[in-house]
Amino acid sequence: MVVGDIATGTELLVIGAGPGGYVAAIRAAQNGIDTTLVEKDAYGGTCLNYGCIPSKALITGANLAHEAGNAEEMGIHADPVVDMSQLRDWKSGVVDQLTGGVEKLCKANGVNLVEGTARFKDENAVRIAHGGEGQGSETIEFEHCIIATGSRVIQIPGFDFGDEPVWSSRDALEADTVPERLVVVGGGYIGMELSTTFAKLGADVTVVEMLDDILPGYESDVARVVRERAEDLGIDMHFGEGASGWRDEDDGIMVTTETEDGEENEYRADKVLVAVGRSPVTDTMDIESAGLEADDRGFLSVDECRRTDVEHIYAVGDVVEDTPMLAHVASKEGIVAAEHVAGEPVAFDSQAVPAAVFTDPEIGTVGMTEADAEEAGFTPVVGQMPFRASGRALTTNHADGFVRVVADEESGFVLGAQIVGPEASELIAELAFAIEMGATLEDVASTIHTHPTLAEAVMEAAENALGQAIHTLNR
Amino acid sequence: MALKEFKLPDVGEGVAEGELVTWHVAPGDEVTEDQVLAEVETDKALVDVPSPFNGTVEELLAEEGEVVPVGDVIITIREDGDDEETAKAADADADAETADSETAESDDADDGSSSGGRVFAPPSVRRLARELGVDLDSVDGSGPSGRVTEGDVRAAAEDDGDGDEPNGPRTVQSNGKSATAKRDEGTSASAAASAESADREQTLAAPATRALAKEEGVDIDAVPATEMRDGEAFVSPDAVAEYAQAQREAQAADAEAVAAEPDAGAATAEATGDAASEPAPPETGPGAGERVPYKGVRKAIGDQMQRSKYTAPHVTHHDEVDVTELVELREQLKPVAEDRGSRLTYMPFVMKAVVAALKDFPYLNSQLDEDNEEIVLRDEYNIGVAAATDAGLLVPVVRDADRKGMLELADEMNEKVEKARNRKIAPEEMRGGTFTITNIGGIGGEYATPIVNYPEVAILALGAIKDKPRVVDGEVVPRKVLTLSLSFDHRVVDGAQGARFTNRVKELLEDPKLLVLE
Repeated sequence: MVVGDIATGTELLVIGAGPGGYVAAIRAAQNGIDTTLVEKDAYGGTCLNYGCIPSKALITGANLAHEAGNAEEMGIHADPVVDMSQLRDWKSGVVDQLTGGVEKLCKANGVNLVEGTARFKDENAVRIAHGGEGQGSETIEFEHCIIATGSRVIQIPGFDFGDEPVWSSRDALEADTVPERLVVVGGGYIGMELSTTFAKLGADVTVVEMLDDILPGYESDVARVVRERAEDLGIDMHFGEGASGWRDEDDGIMVTTETEDGEENEYRADKVLVAVGRSPVTDTMDIESAGLEADDRGFLSVDECRRTDVEHIYAVGDVVEDTPMLAHVASKEGIVAAEHVAGEPVAFDSQAVPAAVFTDPEIGTVGMTEADAEEAGFTPVVGQMPFRASGRALTTNHADGFVRVVADEESGFVLGAQIVGPEASELIAELAFAIEMGATLEDVASTIHTHPTLAEAVMEAAENALGQAIHTLNR
Repeated sequence: MALKEFKLPDVGEGVAEGELVTWHVAPGDEVTEDQVLAEVETDKALVDVPSPFNGTVEELLAEEGEVVPVGDVIITIREDGDDEETAKAADADADAETADSETAESDDADDGSSSGGRVFAPPSVRRLARELGVDLDSVDGSGPSGRVTEGDVRAAAEDDGDGDEPNGPRTVQSNGKSATAKRDEGTSASAAASAESADREQTLAAPATRALAKEEGVDIDAVPATEMRDGEAFVSPDAVAEYAQAQREAQAADAEAVAAEPDAGAATAEATGDAASEPAPPETGPGAGERVPYKGVRKAIGDQMQRSKYTAPHVTHHDEVDVTELVELREQLKPVAEDRGSRLTYMPFVMKAVVAALKDFPYLNSQLDEDNEEIVLRDEYNIGVAAATDAGLLVPVVRDADRKGMLELADEMNEKVEKARNRKIAPEEMRGGTFTITNIGGIGGEYATPIVNYPEVAILALGAIKDKPRVVDGEVVPRKVLTLSLSFDHRVVDGAQGARFTNRVKELLEDPKLLVLE
């Protein structure tokens, strides 16, 4: 590391090496742009280190143990013991492999990697404060910049993540023991994924959600499948309650909640996980010095090529207003920004953004719901295929849920899909592709799908929308 | 929907557009079905456009003098028994359409999908659209349910010359020859930008589109394709019109460029593009002359003549006929005809003679089918009679002249010529001719070299009947003499045959008694 402040120059400076930033940096370098990537913490960002990847590792472990222990009807009798610290080590190994891969890929593509925290000096330069005492700083001048600083978990009053019993999602993923009693504040997708996971690992889980259902933003029939399964797993869900604080008790802690009417409830716990959302990180790098201003929630507004108000400064990922905080959105935006820097005729013009929730069962959605389509002025037609009617679903012993396809009645163009059920996160990809390509119901229905697979349900749902389904009654 | 849009109807086969000459109604007027709304001049004739419904004229959407493509809405008429609300809705619609019309292919902008401006196109196509500066909203998709394909975008890009090109000079393709346009921006940039040409072997287009291309004098294979159909370039009437306009503008710009550089005498049409690096303002002084638009009937005549002359190798055979007896006969018959309400000129006699001769020499009543390499010997005798009108030369056709009597021929011909002069003749009354007679004698002159009315193969021009000295029985006596000039397509008719045909006509006109046998 360099001591003192020396100035170097780069064509493109990317701040943040998460799925938005590292992807942008690699794509820019592939386009022959001299690219510097600054990361203050860990390559891969939240997604690889503290989010998507470790949580999926943990979910896989939890599912495996839970299934093995609950397969008596198949004649499998087992009582698996989960060694949490071993599971954590395995998970960390996966994370390390991926983050190491990101670093290698960046280097192999000629991206200059700089460790440190970037702050804007002006609209063409940042000062990088290197991590650790006395590591000094350096100034990097840039022609273009991509801000990809991502987001951080939201902390709510009364729950300080610095306190040992209060977990953020990141803490939950680092746990080396399963708490006996876990209160989860927030019934959104992160809260529900972790609730399910810890319930399967043996915790006594209570979910406290301010709204009247889990998974706000998802249709009620989709959420219901997950909620019913969560009930089966013994998760206790309380709606219309906001967590107000916690206190130490003799054996653990007491989490207090309040209803809208002011009624108070208390839940005994060993840990409380607060998962109420994430907010963009735009307050650590002096964006004002570059002439930028975030909105009151901290988001940056961008144009279709992800340019901010300062034309040579781009923003991608969770800091961007209006696009969902999803790793794959960040990556796509990163590619768009990088290619735009390279002079390519690109725009973030995706027709639909798929999303997955790794609850039990999983949820996969893309594009419009029936209501969205109606609001957009289409006359939607909907086709549905319950997994109960899928041979493959029955053979996995997971037949809850359905595939639903939404299309425009007149043209047949596929507009959206909601899948709740086994492997929904994988199945949704086909429909995302269909929407991007401007495929019609008939295109999907006419494509031969492998038998016996869950994906057949996608074809069946499209056929159902056309009134031609074989394995369901057409409505 | 009580507010009805009325589109310029197909006023004649092959007619792609018409000039709106006169409106007979104004907004607020009550109109009844079949009432004439407007007069429209096509390349063939002046046509009355009747109202298809009863109602009140809401709005005139074309101005007098405007050239309107067939199918464009020219007037909106509110049908009887209507209320305010729909009026407003209709207005809103109209506004929406106006807004839409800023996009390239506006005329059916509302054909798109039913909703929120969503365009269905794969990502690769969307990217291509950005690359080519094409606004996807303005592209009519040719894929299933209107999905926009790569071909659609490429066609739109060619079509829509003024897409946002980032920078750099553009190369203008003019009839396949390229010339770099470095013209002054602003003045001719748009012309330069939209004058791009294609250069295909084959083009798919509707017959009306081909007719339009011919009328506009553009090579349909050079018109940028609107879309691909079955792998072939497909060209729309709009594309032809746009291309023709671009060509005219480019030519005008070239002309300006030439005018701007008087020294550049060596500048050829091809070179003018880059010669015009510093164009001066175009000359506008009196020396430049009045500019008359080359359009409508004038242009149709021009195109027809050009095609005939450049397609058919012309030969003209000249001869004189002693028509003294014919003159006498006609003098005798004229009052008889008048009694029957007919005006008998020499033309019916000539027509009779020509028909008789055509029967003997069927190749002069034929047509060359170039595509099939066959000569079609026509089994009907439809004689065109060229008429000079204020608008230019028109050729009404007297059909089945072989089956009509002298007075019938006279009446029909007189009537049609009169209609042509008043420009009231219908396009179909000028179609289907197999042979044309043109009378130049009325105005003066001896001989002519008429241009065959393609695809016919021969045309006979009549001079004036004059007193000329002739030797009869060894004595020089004054005789009535008519000159004949027969032009024919030498691909089909050889000189000997042309001469024999003329001799036969001559024989019949010299001794008109023989016509009785015909």
